[in-house]
Amino acid sequence: MVPLLPAIAEVRLKRDAQPLDVIQQYGGDIRHFAHGFRRVATRLQPQLQECVRSGATATGTLPDGDEFVLLGSADESFFVPATRKDSTWRSVVAAGADLVLPEGLTFAKEIYAAGDLTGGERSTFRAILGEKDIHLQRASKVIRWAHAAGRFRAEHDCDLFGRISSDQEVQLQSGCVFQRVGAPVIVAGFSDTAAIQSPSQAMEADADATPVPPGRTLYDGDLEIRAGEVFLGSVVTRGKLHIGAGAHVFGSVKSNGHMTIDSGVSVNGSLVGGMTAHVGSNCRIGGPVLAERGMVIESGTQCGSARNPTTVAAPTIELEEGVVVFGSLWARNEGRVVPKA
Amino acid sequence: MIYCLFGIVLVISLYTARHYWFTLNRLFGFQRHPYIDTDTANWPQVTILVAAHNEEKVVANILAALMNVNYPADRMMVVPVNDRSTDRTREIIDSFVEKHPGRIRPFHRTGGKGGKAAALKDAMEMVETEVILIFDADYIPGSGLIKQLVAPFFDPEVGGVMGRVVPLNVGTNLLTRLLDLERSGGYQVDQQARMNLHLVPQHGGTVAGVRLSALREIGGWNDKSLTEDTDLTYRLLLNGWQTVYQNRSECYEEVPETWPVRIKQIMRWAKGHNQALAAYGLHLLFGKHRATLRERIDGTLLLGVYAMAPVTLIGWLLALGVFYEGVVPLHGIIALFAFTAYAAVGNFAAFFEIAAAVRLDYTRQRVCLLPFLVLGFAVSIFSVSTAFVSQVTAPITGAKFHWDKTERFRTTP
Repeated sequence: MVPLLPAIAEVRLKRDAQPLDVIQQYGGDIRHFAHGFRRVATRLQPQLQECVRSGATATGTLPDGDEFVLLGSADESFFVPATRKDSTWRSVVAAGADLVLPEGLTFAKEIYAAGDLTGGERSTFRAILGEKDIHLQRASKVIRWAHAAGRFRAEHDCDLFGRISSDQEVQLQSGCVFQRVGAPVIVAGFSDTAAIQSPSQAMEADADATPVPPGRTLYDGDLEIRAGEVFLGSVVTRGKLHIGAGAHVFGSVKSNGHMTIDSGVSVNGSLVGGMTAHVGSNCRIGGPVLAERGMVIESGTQCGSARNPTTVAAPTIELEEGVVVFGSLWARNEGRVVPKA
Repeated sequence: MIYCLFGIVLVISLYTARHYWFTLNRLFGFQRHPYIDTDTANWPQVTILVAAHNEEKVVANILAALMNVNYPADRMMVVPVNDRSTDRTREIIDSFVEKHPGRIRPFHRTGGKGGKAAALKDAMEMVETEVILIFDADYIPGSGLIKQLVAPFFDPEVGGVMGRVVPLNVGTNLLTRLLDLERSGGYQVDQQARMNLHLVPQHGGTVAGVRLSALREIGGWNDKSLTEDTDLTYRLLLNGWQTVYQNRSECYEEVPETWPVRIKQIMRWAKGHNQALAAYGLHLLFGKHRATLRERIDGTLLLGVYAMAPVTLIGWLLALGVFYEGVVPLHGIIALFAFTAYAAVGNFAAFFEIAAAVRLDYTRQRVCLLPFLVLGFAVSIFSVSTAFVSQVTAPITGAKFHWDKTERFRTTP
């Protein structure tokens, strides 16, 4: 009987008899934490506006016990005392105007900026919510999340852990490491995004005009789609797949082995790799781009479009400068922007 | 007799090894979740079929939940398949149709063949979209679930999708707690390991999806099957379509709260599974089709899980027979080692799997209930064996298969 005592006790006491915690209302929105912190910032708004009017600063304590500082107007000099001590700023910061931060400082709590936020070099941020643009300087770190209602730009060699999002655009310079990024336009490297949208629109027009048969063609071994070939419908291969330069697939593509896509290939649907995928330069992919082991995408390739945003996901992702993703980037292990070869 | 016994021991050992392989894979292997990160896409039009036969206790919950999911409202149509209900199911569905114009298109079925597969087959006349999701009426989908279940269909090899079922009424009594443990083992370990290892995750017919073109290619729903989900899994497999499992696409369900209801449920599952075994078993293992070698082997083992109950009982009887005949199959220290090894490793396999599942779920105290699973297994082994016998003797007795709906217990509609 003794071995059964814990079981009998559990039946009687029901210490662990709740259903597993299935989150019913969480939809996976990349802005989830930003929305949560915006509610905190909204509660601070009356005091913050008062500070903006008077140009003063104020301090206080949030209901969860965190201290906060409200800045009516401030520049780098406000944070100088912290840089002299242990280089760590330990309270929540809410700025009612543009905010310029000093270099080398660690912000252990969230930052809210009603205006543009410019970080200093080699700074570390727990989380940032910017109502306008966020611009992080070289070798900065974001530990949990950052969201910009305007543009988000990160200079070279930034480590962007957790979630990085923008309501307009994210630009990441080479050397930046990322995990999850979401924005209408994500650009590896800095460039003029107005110029990069037209080719995808042309592809959408192509796709709209060409009827795609349902179902798919299944190949048991390796497959090569020759350069310049046009393939109508979806294709699945259980081996490796090679698509030659300039080929056009009016459908989706799946390979259970390594996938190599040469330059200038267009795929109207999704691109799914059971192992690794190497997407060459100047390709156009209409749907989700997924690889189970890892992915490399070369310069000039566009995934999704302004009208049809999409997801690029793999455990490791390497993007050359010049890659554009409309929608989401998700690298569970590590994503990295590398210089154009 | 002794060779039969050896054969049975061999098959049981095979299943034991499979339990360990799956569990160790879940604990230490590479975990595949290839579609779960797809959060942005040009989401396709989707039809959500809600199978409902006398579901007045639960149907309002699922319809309310579906009206609150984060899938684009203009790209999803909910089709409650009201299958000859005689309670207030129709009235409740119609009230939702009125409240949410253009989002729910009810299919009220008043006659025809009984059973979920037959109802779904008839409801296909309402379906025009390439992606179809299926829920039983007692499920409560969360906000992000529909996108998660649709995402795998961006992969052109995927014909079916299965999410994870999580019991909601866990704390009701000992039975619900044991079923909670069994579900954990079945989904958290079994299904995910099969996904990881490129084997055959099983379509469960609820919290699930199917591609219309794949369904048409394989001939639609099989209304002769008692478990249309198992039947679908194998027909997709034989035609080169993958069924994938999404462990993080979780959905609450209600599990049976009384033993008679549970026995009825598991007997139906066993009969349906055995139907599929008879229909596809040999062809899957030896036939010419699109399944890979590992899919053939795992698929056959999966088909045989319910047949293992009577096989085990026969094994026990044979062991007794051998004992009373005075035959000693193993001698001395080898016999001792064999007995000890099986007692320590063999019997422990299923418990190890469930304990691992509980650990992966980050729950703590419920693992204490493991010893009581013997009770659940005992009931299952005799129920499933009874089902098997009734199936085998049906041609003689003239018994007809019929579909038994699982009774609901929820008290707040």
